[in-house]
Order: sequence, then structure tokens, then C-alpha cells
Amino acid sequence: MKQRVTLNINGTEEEVYAEPWWSLAQVLREEFGLGGTKIACNTGDCGACTVLLDGKAVRSCLILAVKAQGRKVVTIEGLRGKDGGLHPLQQAFMEHFAVQCGYCTPGMILTAKSLLDENPAPTEEEVREGMSGNLCRCTGYAKIVEAVMAASARMRGEHR
Amino acid sequence: MGCSQHIDATSVTEAISILQSQGDKAVLVAGGTDLVGMLNNRLISPETLVNIKTIPGMDYIREYSGGLRIGALTRIRDIETSAIIREYFPVLAEAAVSVGSPQIRRMGTLGGNFCQEVRCWYYRRSPATGKTFTCYRKGGNVCYATSGDNRYHSVIGGKKCFAACPSDMAVALASLHAHATLAGASGTRSVPVEDFFIPLGNILKPGEMLTEVSIPALKPGSRQKFLKFRHRKTIDFALCSVASVLEVEAGVVADASLVLGGVAPFPYRAKAAEQVLKGQPLTEDLASEAGAAALRAARPLSLNAYKVTIGRVLVKRAILGVDM
Repeated sequence: MKQRVTLNINGTEEEVYAEPWWSLAQVLREEFGLGGTKIACNTGDCGACTVLLDGKAVRSCLILAVKAQGRKVVTIEGLRGKDGGLHPLQQAFMEHFAVQCGYCTPGMILTAKSLLDENPAPTEEEVREGMSGNLCRCTGYAKIVEAVMAASARMRGEHR
Repeated sequence: MGCSQHIDATSVTEAISILQSQGDKAVLVAGGTDLVGMLNNRLISPETLVNIKTIPGMDYIREYSGGLRIGALTRIRDIETSAIIREYFPVLAEAAVSVGSPQIRRMGTLGGNFCQEVRCWYYRRSPATGKTFTCYRKGGNVCYATSGDNRYHSVIGGKKCFAACPSDMAVALASLHAHATLAGASGTRSVPVEDFFIPLGNILKPGEMLTEVSIPALKPGSRQKFLKFRHRKTIDFALCSVASVLEVEAGVVADASLVLGGVAPFPYRAKAAEQVLKGQPLTEDLASEAGAAALRAARPLSLNAYKVTIGRVLVKRAILGVDM
């Protein structure tokens, strides 16, 4: 039996009726049309479904939609820079060619966002550890790490 | 899908009473890192999901007379970062860091790590692919791995089911002689961690749930090591792992606890290897001898004899306290 769930998605209060077994990833994609959140493995291995839940990166394929009741979700569609344009992470991913097929990119960027919120000046090793739960099948890890380091510097006001 | 309701339980008593009244139609869900993936793949379709994350007071790491009590709802990440565990039970912290990925460790709980399902690819095959292997674990009367691709399966202790126990936490906790507390309608019982697991699952009876794991006091200065061999550095299960806790006095092994993961349907206590070590001066040769003894009971299937080779070396390295 469907249950009513109210949650905030990308700054807007939303309501949805979800079956108890539906994942948050499924609801974001199919009920709200937010296709930036990818479903790849659907078992928590790959990280492509990463969203921010109350500011922390989580695997939305492993979270039951009913458990998102009353919480704040940010998907890649809701990520913005201070000026309303691209977020520095999005900008850095473009500039450093950290995108190939693009399927892992939303999850990579949101994982990096959560990481930089907790640790604004990570070492390269800390970035690798923090991003270790996100798979890139194109194996663009070197450029992804470069992009996160560059965004971190830019967000701290050190231009490079 | 028959799944019709999601209940937020507010006490252990309530969760147990739902399990009792609904039998196997109800399943408990905490972090959901294994269970929700199984729902997504339609491997299970319970009528009732009982959310136990809403039960207060089950998320704790507490000291008691030199030992520790850890609530079943404690997240793996909190075990990994606990100052007490890092200082006094580093084998457990090392096992925690090896679990899944940072996001999984933030969501996944100790109880869930124990109760997660095995990784056997026959068992895990999603019906959505159009094919299901009805093995012993699913109520059938065959293990597809014994005559199929068994490279990741058990080399010791398989019986009907040959899938390996996937829990890293249980391996480290067994090496610390920890006990699991199981709560049921008629009270609680306590069992050694390695006895919690059996080839077709675990010893939980209908209407029982895991509430706590307790670690007894340990003599200060023990040498502890957890080593995990796997294909990838992250997001991967153990092909073989070893947890080692040694008491060494003046170069002589006074006591030894050695437990292997990834090789059996339960955390495998290598008693023969413990006996090899006890009372002997700790040398590289002795560690090699213990490694050989640890895997002597192994009876590999057609494709997994390599686990025996890896296990011998891991045991040796864990005893000597060297990294992978």
C-alpha cells in the first residue's frame, strides 16, 4: 500500500505516494523526472545514484523512499554555484576533462560536494579515500581527483 | 511484489512481536545497505518491512570492566572512528575500514553486517534477469556452486550451501572472543560470534533479533592485525581475510586467536594454528607453520584452491604484523 511522503527536493517542498519497497533513486527518477540521478548497479556498489540527504552524500538506491520523509534531498539538478550558475565542482569537472561517458559524474560531483563540505582542504589521498565508493568505468580517476582538488582550491579562494 | 507496509518500530519488544506474529513475511531493516539492494533486485518480497533504526538506545559503544558493548544499530563508520576501538581493539577498527565504501559504512550497521546475505552469484541472481537458481538457501535441494563456478565459495565447512560468510566485522569480533546477544520473546541469549553463522544463514530463530555484541576484556599490549585480500581496494568482499590477536611475552606466544574470513560459511577459527603458536618463540618459521596449519582442514572445490595459498600467506603476515 502506498504511503504519503513529504520531502524537500532541490529546495521545493514535494509530496509523493510511494510503495514501501521503492527506493529514493527510483522515486527521484520516475516520479519527479530527475534523471541526473543514475541507477546503474542498484545494489549500492557503484555510487552513480549518489544524492545529498540532509547535506550528506548517500546512495539513493539503498534508501527506501519512505525513509526520506521530512528530509532534504539535493540532486545534481539542484546543485548551483553562489551566482546561480555552475557550482565550482561542475566547472572544475569541465575544465579538467573529468567527464567521459558522464554516467558516474553526478554521483562523483555530489560525493565530492559532501567531502569538501566536511573537509574544505583535503589532501589528494583524502580525496581518493573520500571518492573510493564511486566507480568510473571509463577509468578517469586521475582527472576526477585533479578536478576535485582544483575545485577545493577555488572554493577556498586560491585560484589556480 | 507483496510488500505492503513499512513500520517504524519503537522498541525491541515491538519489533520482536511483529516478527512473531508475521513469521517470515516480515523482515527487519536498519541501514538497508544489503536489504534494499535485494528488494531492488526482487530477491525478496516481504509483506512487512520493520524499520528498527527508529528504536532508541541501540546505537552505542560502551566500556564495561575492560571490555566493550556495541549496540547492533551502531554504524560501521562509528566503529571505524571510535577512539577506544582504535586504541584497544585495532583489529576491529581495521576490519571496519575494509567494509564497503565510505557511504556504505555511514549507513550500514553492525547488526546488518552480521545479518547480510551471502554473495553467491547463483543465490543473488535477480529474477528480473529471467533466471532463478533455486538452491538450498532458497528452499531447493541443490547447490549450483559445487558443480558450477565456485571460485568465490568456501574451502572449509560447506554443508549444502558453500557460500562464504561475507561479514568482515564477525571475523574481527570472533578473534576478540566476542559474543552476540540475541533477543526473543522469552528473553535473551548470548552466543560466541563464530557460532552465530551456519551454512544456511544464522542461528536466529523466528521472532529473534540481534541486539548487541560484547567484547571481553583483553590483556593490554596484545598484537592485533586484520588483513583482507580482495580484487579491489574498496567496495569489495574478502576472498580471504585473517584477524589475529596474539599475546606475546618476552618473544614467546602466550596466547593466540586466529580467525579466517571468506573461506567458510562462518568465521573460521583456526584452532590448529593457534595450537602451533602457543608456548613457542615467535619467529618467521613458526608463523609459516601456523599458516600451513590454519588451512589444513581445507577441501577446495574445483576453482577455489587459490584461497588456500592466499590464506596461508595472510595468516603468516597477520601473525608477523606486516601489511599486505
